[in-house]
Amino acid sequence: MSRAREERQLRRSRMFAGFGVQQLNLVPLVDTFVSIVFFALTTTTVGELAPVVPGVSLPSASVGTTALSQFTIGIGANVTVANRAVMSTAEAAGSVSDDPRQPLKIPVLYRELRHIADSIRAERHLAPRDELKYPLAIQGDKSMRYDLLSRFMQTARLAGFRQLSLQVERRSPVAGP
Amino acid sequence: MASTYFHRTRLRREERKATMHQGGLNLVPLVDILTSIVFFSLLTYAGAALAALTSFDLTLPPTVVENPADLQKLKSEKELLNLLLVVRLYDDRIEIEHSADGGYRKRVGGVEGAFLDEFEKEMTAIRARYPQNKDVLVLPADGMNYETIVHVLERLKLARYSGISLGTRSREAK
Repeated sequence: MSRAREERQLRRSRMFAGFGVQQLNLVPLVDTFVSIVFFALTTTTVGELAPVVPGVSLPSASVGTTALSQFTIGIGANVTVANRAVMSTAEAAGSVSDDPRQPLKIPVLYRELRHIADSIRAERHLAPRDELKYPLAIQGDKSMRYDLLSRFMQTARLAGFRQLSLQVERRSPVAGP
Repeated sequence: MASTYFHRTRLRREERKATMHQGGLNLVPLVDILTSIVFFSLLTYAGAALAALTSFDLTLPPTVVENPADLQKLKSEKELLNLLLVVRLYDDRIEIEHSADGGYRKRVGGVEGAFLDEFEKEMTAIRARYPQNKDVLVLPADGMNYETIVHVLERLKLARYSGISLGTRSREAK
């Protein structure tokens, strides 16, 4: 081996040895970023999407706004308010209003919703007659009749919830001819 | 044997590789992290189905303002309804009524399939004729199926009505 070559090899090995000492291990950093991106995506998109109330078979529609997680009344075999069973749907359908001027009112549901509305008013420092701007979603079974749905809507409005929305399953649009 | 240019460069590359210790990317920590994510995702799964839902926001049905003091409360003229458009739903037909031009009434002979197409076409025409009006009051019959009502609401959205309200007929106390 020539002398020039030996010197060149020595120089190169010194240079690469220097690189080896200073190199940065980026693998843990990449792992951490993967975790952050994963949890950021799941909490911003999935976390805000409205879950389907168990036991409710929703009708479907191809239009409408994306339903976000809201305070929800579920109407399946049981009536649920924020995922807590309040009464059976058969009881709700057969219940008689205690207010002659409001024949559609369901008293048990009204008391439950009124209690929640009062809590929200207290938290927001609103007077009892102030308008409550708080959205309420209804997830109803597709086999339900309108006379029953109208009783739930009217009871919710009487309790103070004026911003009602019907949450249904999203269906992909049917392609035209 | 005299060394060729190819052999010399190959030898140099081998020397450099050995010096730099380029062993590739270590994927083991990444697999560990992904395993942790899957484990905790399964552990915290609440059991509630997360389907993509869509929402129909309902407005309150229009009311007649008789008290002048209530009229003052209206913030702008936009809140005044200049066309009362009503869709009555029955089990076997849809009736469209509005208050303009001395009154208008149209009957659609069904609530499914091609009849819904006809209904949507009619509502789109009314929307085009009265572009300032985005509100419609839907009055379903008591026995109407909820799914059918949703299909009608869907057609109203497709006809670009944004202020949809569901009304009920007046009735006596039970």
